[in-house]
Amino acid sequence: MSQNSSGKDDQASGSKKPISLPISRVRLIMKSSPDVSSINQDALFLTTKATELFVQHLALSSFNNGSGKETNTLSYSDLANTAQETETFHFLTDILPKKILAQDYLNSLEQMQEEEGADY
Amino acid sequence: MASSSGNDDDLTIPRAAINKMIKETLPNVRVANDARELVVNCCTEFIHLISSEANEICNKSEKKTISPEHVINALESLGFASYITEVKDVLQECKTVALKRRKASSRLENLGIPEEELLRQQQELFAKARQQQAELAQQEWLQMQQAAQQAQMAAASATAAQQAGSSQDEDEEDDI
Repeated sequence: MSQNSSGKDDQASGSKKPISLPISRVRLIMKSSPDVSSINQDALFLTTKATELFVQHLALSSFNNGSGKETNTLSYSDLANTAQETETFHFLTDILPKKILAQDYLNSLEQMQEEEGADY
Repeated sequence: MASSSGNDDDLTIPRAAINKMIKETLPNVRVANDARELVVNCCTEFIHLISSEANEICNKSEKKTISPEHVINALESLGFASYITEVKDVLQECKTVALKRRKASSRLENLGIPEEELLRQQQELFAKARQQQAELAQQEWLQMQQAAQQAQMAAASATAAQQAGSSQDEDEEDDI
């Protein structure tokens, strides 16, 4: 006997809204792009929806490609890896450098110093 | 986490909205906090990407306003052509919703009754209210009159009684 659906937010309205992201915020972000002047309202709807699809696309791809499937987790590195490996997501590589462990960094520092024969 | 600087670059989609979408897309999956933060920033990047591309296309077309066509072409040239069908459908839905809302609000304003009739009904209501007020005022006035009359009569009979009692002395009674 299933009564409640798992969604906490679904109460009175059974109809899904076409767009979940705040359109006004999307407009603000668009306008902060250099040279962008005026945007038609319909163009704004399209961009907002495209952004939603992007989030879903990114999350799904990262999860499916990533190592988290056994542990059922989505991690930062899953996202970073997907961005590097998928061409359409290459534009993200600027903002998501692959994180390296501090230990690895220290190790590579040591190696560099040994190679240079520096006294430490 | 409100930043005091009004920097344009700090504009992002609200975290809650992103969290909700991730949850709907990957139900039952644990998502690290830094991963969520990353997705928020990726959104901003994506919007900038699309806007810049659409803007370029717009400039080439010699139009001043970025149109839906420009956005669709931008999506295509950036490798997001797979989004186009769904995005177009949503546009149609948005227009329909906006149209319904406008119809609904105008329906509410009129209730199907023409304006003259509404005015007439309003005048009727006002007239009724005035009448009721007038009746109330009249009643009050009548009551006051009656009370005053009774008081006068009482005073008059008291005086008469006194005069009848003492014919010699003229007691001048004060008027009440």
